[in-house]
Amino acid sequence: MDKGDTMSRIYDFKGSKGTGYSQPKALMDLDSIKLPSELRRKSSPNLPRLSEPEIVRHYTWLSSRNFGIDTGFYPLGSCTMKHNPRVNEAIALMPGIASIHPLQPESHQQGLMAIMYEMQEMLEICAGMDQVTLQPVAGAQGEFTAIRCIQEYHKSIGEINRNQVIVPDSAHGTNPASAAMCGYDIVEIPSKPDGRLDLDALSAVAGENTAAMMITNPSTLGVFEHDIVKAAEIVHGVGGQMYYDGANFNAILGKTNPGLMGFDAVHYNLHKTFSQPHGGGGPGSGPIGVKSHLEEFLPSPLVARRNKSPSDGTGVLGDYWYSWYEPTKSIGKVQQWNGNTGAIVRCWAYYRRYGKELTKMSEHAVLNANYLRHRIMNSEDANIMPLDGVPAKVVKHEFTISMKPLKEQLGIGAMDIAKGLLDQGYMAPTVYFPLIVPECMMIEPTETESKETLDEFAHNFIKVLNMDPEILHNSPSTTPVGRVDEVYAARNLILTQSDDENSS
Amino acid sequence: MDQLPNLGREEEMLNLMGLKSMDELFSDIPSEIRITSELPLRGPQTEEQIISDARALLDSNITSSTRPSFLGAGLYQNYVPALIPQLIGRGEFLTAYTPYQAEVSQGMLQAMWEFQSMICGLTGLEVSNVSVYDASSAVAEAITCSVRVHNKKATKKNVVYVSELVPPHRMSVVYNYTQGGGLEIRKLAHNSDGTVNLESVKDAKGSCAVYVEQPNALGILDTGLIHMKEIVGENTALIVGVQPTSLGLVEAPGNYGADIVVGEGQPLGSFMSGGGPIYGIFSCSKKYLRQMPGRIVGKSIDSRGQEAYCLTLSTREQHIRRHRATSNLCTNETLIALMGAMHMALLGPEGIEKLSLRNFASRQLTESLLSEVDGLNFPHSSLPHYNEFVVELPRPASEALEYLDKKGLIGGFDLSNWYPDKKNWLLICSTDQNTRSEIDLLVETLSEWIKVIQ
Repeated sequence: MDKGDTMSRIYDFKGSKGTGYSQPKALMDLDSIKLPSELRRKSSPNLPRLSEPEIVRHYTWLSSRNFGIDTGFYPLGSCTMKHNPRVNEAIALMPGIASIHPLQPESHQQGLMAIMYEMQEMLEICAGMDQVTLQPVAGAQGEFTAIRCIQEYHKSIGEINRNQVIVPDSAHGTNPASAAMCGYDIVEIPSKPDGRLDLDALSAVAGENTAAMMITNPSTLGVFEHDIVKAAEIVHGVGGQMYYDGANFNAILGKTNPGLMGFDAVHYNLHKTFSQPHGGGGPGSGPIGVKSHLEEFLPSPLVARRNKSPSDGTGVLGDYWYSWYEPTKSIGKVQQWNGNTGAIVRCWAYYRRYGKELTKMSEHAVLNANYLRHRIMNSEDANIMPLDGVPAKVVKHEFTISMKPLKEQLGIGAMDIAKGLLDQGYMAPTVYFPLIVPECMMIEPTETESKETLDEFAHNFIKVLNMDPEILHNSPSTTPVGRVDEVYAARNLILTQSDDENSS
Repeated sequence: MDQLPNLGREEEMLNLMGLKSMDELFSDIPSEIRITSELPLRGPQTEEQIISDARALLDSNITSSTRPSFLGAGLYQNYVPALIPQLIGRGEFLTAYTPYQAEVSQGMLQAMWEFQSMICGLTGLEVSNVSVYDASSAVAEAITCSVRVHNKKATKKNVVYVSELVPPHRMSVVYNYTQGGGLEIRKLAHNSDGTVNLESVKDAKGSCAVYVEQPNALGILDTGLIHMKEIVGENTALIVGVQPTSLGLVEAPGNYGADIVVGEGQPLGSFMSGGGPIYGIFSCSKKYLRQMPGRIVGKSIDSRGQEAYCLTLSTREQHIRRHRATSNLCTNETLIALMGAMHMALLGPEGIEKLSLRNFASRQLTESLLSEVDGLNFPHSSLPHYNEFVVELPRPASEALEYLDKKGLIGGFDLSNWYPDKKNWLLICSTDQNTRSEIDLLVETLSEWIKVIQ
């Protein structure tokens, strides 16, 4: 391994004792502290030693080796990587949210609760649901929470033999994983050759053991499942519940909603649709909404609003008083506080920017996806054209294309194209998902990209398709590192500084 | 609407595609479920209006930045050094997705590898992931992980023991995460002084795991924990929940046999933010590596022979293993873990020790000054504590808290919320952020209250 010269490694700094952050004096001496010797740490924790200027430069250097939406176009399908308005960050750092402890009295957090209430209501309206909880902190936790509510609902009406959850083969991996965590058996149904939901396959497996079906619409292929109402009828017909994975909600806001489609429960990915920054892997926020029959099972607490009375005392805003309440048959908690409220506040600021014009957000997301698909798929410059993932006249917020012809004729796979795009200064689209499209690339431009960015991307995309296969196999070459050896990582398992010292 | 670059250019783009209207883009949605009316929501606002509304709402809240607070109970008032929010606000970190494309994600990957190293430095264990949601999901995931590792050899199959002092809101999360697997959670008893009952620990032998906290929910540091691994043996996981800043002075659980260490990362580098986003710590020995939840970064090499980082052992995860994954965890709390990494780097070995000391000292001083007030009782005062301690009051804690609130103090936590028979138990938390004058004010105001009620 080349121990290069330009690397900044946090454990390589040679700071002496006391170079770190200076703190005020403790209120008592170490000698006076009550801590029995057997509980006393014998050696100092293995932490690096460096000063503030070195830390700032280290992390700034690291950031220069990372690609975000701010760096460039980020067409990562299924992830809705839209611009993150910065005022949202400024608001989330205000002490009125940053320094709130969730166990403070209601009278201390009326302003925060007003925001939470507004978000509950707004999300209910957008999805056609009766009640929203903001507690789940990620999409997967939202899925898990909703399936738990459905589980308790079935128990409450004596239907204890419903042990199966149906998912299409194009579903996100979290769907089956979340249902399995609740103890369900997973029944996967194949998609039709055109990638759409197969109603016959659904009818064949739906029955008295069906607890729920989990599905996203538009599907992971970016097309609207026009048979969704019939699917809901089939599942409801056997006593099952319909669960909507909100990963692709950015496509349909104000155009239709899961309630109209026949869903009983839905999760929202606020870090996708409502622009909570993804932070390199999190935090997210995954509220869920349910129809009234599931409401009493939701996690505790929810925010309620009533007209203010004179006894409410201080801290009251406007005409209302907000309070926490526990639904009657609540499943309890899925996060020990009230969810990622800091993320909720950011998304509230995002919502306020659009208001009822959220519809425009979805229109432009769909406009951009269709436009980019048109530019790529109708190009006359490609030597070998990729295939449409699905033969659809229009797509929604994203689309898939298959690199199968390039793979067969030139040996260039989706991964090669992805790495080639990195060299053009783009984040690569999602590759090899959904699994049902061979050599799949999934592209989601989002509404916050200009026509010029899309034109330029389409042009460069075709340029990459036409590149010498040898060059593509060896790309990227302009990035901070070349292709990383994942097999080496898995075999050697250098997971910490100590592993590294022991291995060298 | 300043977020849409193509506003006003719809027609131009539609024409290029051979389409006539935006409506055509939605023609695949069946008409019976199409919405054509306006969303019944408020109108859009400008940035300046939004920030003004946000100020009006959020400035009306009462917080630990405007009045002295002695409320802990799982989240802790702390100081987040100024460089942290500024550096995590760099768009290259803030606006990145999960680092699947390693070549353009080396910054976050290396930062998380360094985070893993620092967490292991604190816990005394070999492995850490890049965070879970919070302490509660960390406990739950540690339990299910232990069952996957130990169930085969366990004589008490699918059984885990959990300290009876673990607060109900955390237990509720644990229950939701474990009921699907058919796990049986048995209570690990504590002695009346709040320490773990070591006789009860013997019952846990043969089960898959035992979970205890250090400090526990009453703030007690328990020397008994040091002996637990000997009692439960090799085939039962010892899971210890920690407050990470305590590990500057308190023995690393990995050094007394803990197999998995979990905890709320918040006191290290993160704001309380009303309870989230915060980050959960999950650290374990290598034995649990292949069954653990969440993302892990490994150090590797690239095609040019250079040092490089990538996600590793992904075959445990949902996007590959689907319903057989070790967890459904996908989005985690990476950016908040990065705040933790920056805080640990700023502190260094001596700094974390000092931060521990400041917390120890603040709490101990608070208890010792309060002990001079007539009418207060300290049920566990002979034991070492961190951050928190119980005061038994002559009247219900709710009454004292109401009085303190009127006097401008966030006085602590009414423990009857967790343990209904402890009506008069007040949990007081004093951290590095509580000054001498705040502590004096608390002592003075509580004495006043006692006089008022007598």
